[in-house]
Amino acid sequence: MQLQDKHRIAVLSAYALSLHGFEGLLPTPIPWLRLGLANIITLVALMLYGFRTAMTVTLIRVVLASIFTGTFLGPSFMLSLGGGVSSAAAMGIAWAVSRSFFGPVGLSLIGALFHNAAQLALAYLIFIQRFEAIMIISPVIILIGAVTGLMNGIVGGLLIKNLSHE
Amino acid sequence: MKTVIRNTTCADRLLFFLLILASCAGIFISREAVSQSSDVLIEVNGKPAYTFPLAGDRTVTVNGPCGPTVVEIKDMKVRIREASCPNRLCLKEGWIAKGVIVCLPNRIVVTVGGKSAGSPRGVDAVTG
Repeated sequence: MQLQDKHRIAVLSAYALSLHGFEGLLPTPIPWLRLGLANIITLVALMLYGFRTAMTVTLIRVVLASIFTGTFLGPSFMLSLGGGVSSAAAMGIAWAVSRSFFGPVGLSLIGALFHNAAQLALAYLIFIQRFEAIMIISPVIILIGAVTGLMNGIVGGLLIKNLSHE
Repeated sequence: MKTVIRNTTCADRLLFFLLILASCAGIFISREAVSQSSDVLIEVNGKPAYTFPLAGDRTVTVNGPCGPTVVEIKDMKVRIREASCPNRLCLKEGWIAKGVIVCLPNRIVVTVGGKSAGSPRGVDAVTG
């Protein structure tokens, strides 16, 4: 059982890491816009294998991705880590509190929201100490986050459905 | 598409629309709030000399007919810190967040307000 868990975490982390790398290659209209595809893996891990697996996979993904891109312990790593951990934690709490209340789409939306909220807070603390700038940008980011969160939730939901059929 | 919609719970849909609604409202509210952010206008001898956003802290020295006057902007408030005029009424005004500080001998007017701060103020009435 223990070994199987380890294998599962390894495979999920590999998927998350490759999605994370892949979305970095995608051209986006705004440079800081990310689709959060790796969040799909966190979502699947959470709903199929529980919170501990999801958090482990997220931590492995964030740390390894930053080591591969050479930003380990840098400011963008801090943003990535804060966003990843808070979104995984928020999704875990929402999932633990109400199993039947939120589906994959709802959890993904919560994850996206908390990811953005944590990154905005960290960006405010680390980079821009201007409150108005954050006030202007945050609704835009949350709007984009809602759209990408919806897409990720739909994909994650289909993935979970197919995986649990087997 | 149908399976996708059936896959979502009521809470999912509610959350999605709530997020969209809140962020759209947020975009408009933040635009509004920022466009109303105040500017500090410093006039010397009736001519605008400087305009600064009230949000940034800074200290400026303005030279009038009587000598230098130091205007300080800090924590969304403005005051005259030092003045070289004889009676120093402007210093007694203290910190203001809205309104006007006038130093008559030195012909300096510091106005804090919204967009109207720089617009010409009309005459109320003219007699005789």
